Amino acid sequence: MRKFNFRLLVFSLPVIGLLWPLDYFLSYNLKKSNEYPGELEVMNDIYNGNLNCDIAVYGSSRAWTQFNPIIMENSLRMNVYNFGIDGHNFWIQYLRHLEYIKHNKKPKLIILVVDIFSLQKRMDLNEPIQFMPYMLWNKNIREYTSSYKYLNKLEYYIPLIRYAGKRNTLNTAIKNISRSSKDSKKYRNKGYKGMVREWTDDFDKAKAEMKQYNIVLDTASITLFDRFINECRALNIKLMFVYTPEYIDGQKFVSNRKDVFDIYKWYAKKYNLVFLDYSSDELSFKKELFYNASHLNSKGADLFTYKLTSDLKNIDAIGTATMRASILN
Amino acid sequence: MLFNSINFALFLPIVYILYWYATKGNLRLQNILLLVSSYFFYACWDWRFLFLLIFSTSLDYFTGIKIHGAANKRKKLFWLWLSIGINLGFLGVFKYYNFFAESFSEGLSLLGLKANLGSLQVILPVGISFYTFHGLSYVFDLYNNRIKPERNFIDYSVFVSFFPLLVAGPIERATHLLPQILKKREFNYIKAVDGLRQILWGLFKKIVIADNCAEFANTIFNNSSDYSGSTLVLGALFFAFQIYCDFSGYSDIALGTARLFGIDLLRNFAFPYFSRDIAEFWRRWHISLSSWFRDYLYIPLGGSKGGMWMKVRNTFIIFLVSGFWHGANWTFIIWGALNAIYFLPLLLTSKNRNNLETVAQGKYFPTFKELFMMLLTFSLTVFAWIFFRAESVGHALSYISEIFSPSLFSLPKFGGMKRAMTLTILIAVFLLVEWLGRENQYALAKLGLSWKRPMRYAMYYSILIAIFYFSGQDQQFIYFQF
Repeated sequence: MRKFNFRLLVFSLPVIGLLWPLDYFLSYNLKKSNEYPGELEVMNDIYNGNLNCDIAVYGSSRAWTQFNPIIMENSLRMNVYNFGIDGHNFWIQYLRHLEYIKHNKKPKLIILVVDIFSLQKRMDLNEPIQFMPYMLWNKNIREYTSSYKYLNKLEYYIPLIRYAGKRNTLNTAIKNISRSSKDSKKYRNKGYKGMVREWTDDFDKAKAEMKQYNIVLDTASITLFDRFINECRALNIKLMFVYTPEYIDGQKFVSNRKDVFDIYKWYAKKYNLVFLDYSSDELSFKKELFYNASHLNSKGADLFTYKLTSDLKNIDAIGTATMRASILN
Repeated sequence: MLFNSINFALFLPIVYILYWYATKGNLRLQNILLLVSSYFFYACWDWRFLFLLIFSTSLDYFTGIKIHGAANKRKKLFWLWLSIGINLGFLGVFKYYNFFAESFSEGLSLLGLKANLGSLQVILPVGISFYTFHGLSYVFDLYNNRIKPERNFIDYSVFVSFFPLLVAGPIERATHLLPQILKKREFNYIKAVDGLRQILWGLFKKIVIADNCAEFANTIFNNSSDYSGSTLVLGALFFAFQIYCDFSGYSDIALGTARLFGIDLLRNFAFPYFSRDIAEFWRRWHISLSSWFRDYLYIPLGGSKGGMWMKVRNTFIIFLVSGFWHGANWTFIIWGALNAIYFLPLLLTSKNRNNLETVAQGKYFPTFKELFMMLLTFSLTVFAWIFFRAESVGHALSYISEIFSPSLFSLPKFGGMKRAMTLTILIAVFLLVEWLGRENQYALAKLGLSWKRPMRYAMYYSILIAIFYFSGQDQQFIYFQF
């Protein structure tokens, strides 16, 4: 048996010994990715710890495609970063917030882009590639991603095994070997990417095929939402909610839309937060500013950002004056 | 806990170390450890069904002793039927109740009558068909005085619940496995190395071939109405390789794992896709189940002793029961019936035992006739698999009718063609290794044994890299649902 165990050990040692270096090698090269939708760039910025922003924009794709930080910076003379994350509800948005606060200087103001899906929780882990290089022994990522049916618990602790069979991820990492992380052109700019796209017929198709549907609110997400607000208060970070423009015809699909809105209004009132709602704004009536019912194209995004910036100035959102609850409908 | 999971990769070394080191060779301690590990392994799915497993084990243990101690045949029969009744009763409730209730209601509705027996929302306990048959073989053998009852409950429980075979076989026999459990087990270097090689090959089959084939087979079968006949043929082929590599891969891992503990399990597969006729196929496919039906159903029914009519009747019975064993769906029954029909000409012409030896023994290439026979048998098998895989008989029929349409002659078209090409190359490599190793217990059994160690290790590392890179989406083993 000693001979067997010895030989098994000799055979296994290179495998075990290479787990960490290979994991590092793959993660290192994966981080260089600048492909759609650019989530890894935002994660890299967060973990590099150099973000020194005054205003942080949180939310889903309705954040990252609609808030142009450059316009905001030019107008407000402050550093702005867009942390919008593609396809994720508040649950994962909060994870991004945690990691950002942990590794960087805290912002003065957080603009949380709330939408109809924020307090839902999707079943699958969208764009998991963004977590891969950073998830090993990362308590926060484990805590907030392990409830999705994607990764085994041990994959958060044992190096390399999370890459097994992830062929696209592996191919991306291998492709990036020769690429320099400094030279590669970024997909996003300060977390933002304007979509130079025209209105697609997706909405018309959906309109023809779909009936009304109900948003299933996730209790844990609502609890987390409340916790987040309180944590911001404790850290002395100002917080405001924004509901971005939404094409008017697309607002009829969700049957409990009012209930979802009421939650945001209730929290805004309870914690005395500003809630800017642009869902009935004139922008929401202009189809040419959207590429689908819930996303503005780059032209629409710029117009919206100008408008928002102007409103921020008007309500003195980041000034020293006491903020009042200002619920605009 | 799946054999292809990281959890099992941790579980196995821990049990292995405890088994050979902590027990210090004490047989009693080793068996207790195997039992505890097996129950833990099973409880990882659903601990509640552990009670069912323990109950089933206790039932056969108790009735076994009663059968052996019964004063006369009548009492023996009573205990035998009690065991059969309760075992099959559980199987019936958990696996077949909804099928019977629905079929009964549908049958009555055809006669214009209405009956609603309702359906049970029950979860099928993993491995129930396997451990039930396991226990039944024990009481049958006791009834036929082939063995003596095992009076040590722990040893008997290990026989039923030994974790490598617990959830998907091989379906063991008391005559084969129990003596190994009762005998002091010495570590055997060659056996252990062989076990590891078989595990490696089983993982390759399951993770690289079966799981990747599953992706395409599932897409094509689940949306069959969207695809051309040629694509549906590809879907059926992918399923044929999926089910073979899934189940034989599982069996390889089970056999290899058992060998690490000094235990030999029954062989379950012997390169069935290289069979020259359907009789040979059934001697090589799921051998432990086929031989179970032969020994405990076909032979007690009279086997082939009572003339041609009885042979035909008994053959149909075992194929239909075998189909039904796989699941409560008419598709499985038709699959069984189709195989019986394939078998019939061989039976009628007494050619069912023509091909007992491995094809092209000692040669690199088969003859043209052998190749033709293999392809024909494989085609028939693939055709039958369509029923096995389809959701319903209607689905299978529409699948087949689309195959035999003009679109059969178009080029296959489906998402992921590039990946399918890579998979086809992998299947070709796999078939080549299987062909070269077809005279052994498993394909990798002797491959590279005479090579120098660095070369041999390079082969193992290459397989590991292939497993790492090509592993498909985690798929359950198909036979867990049976």
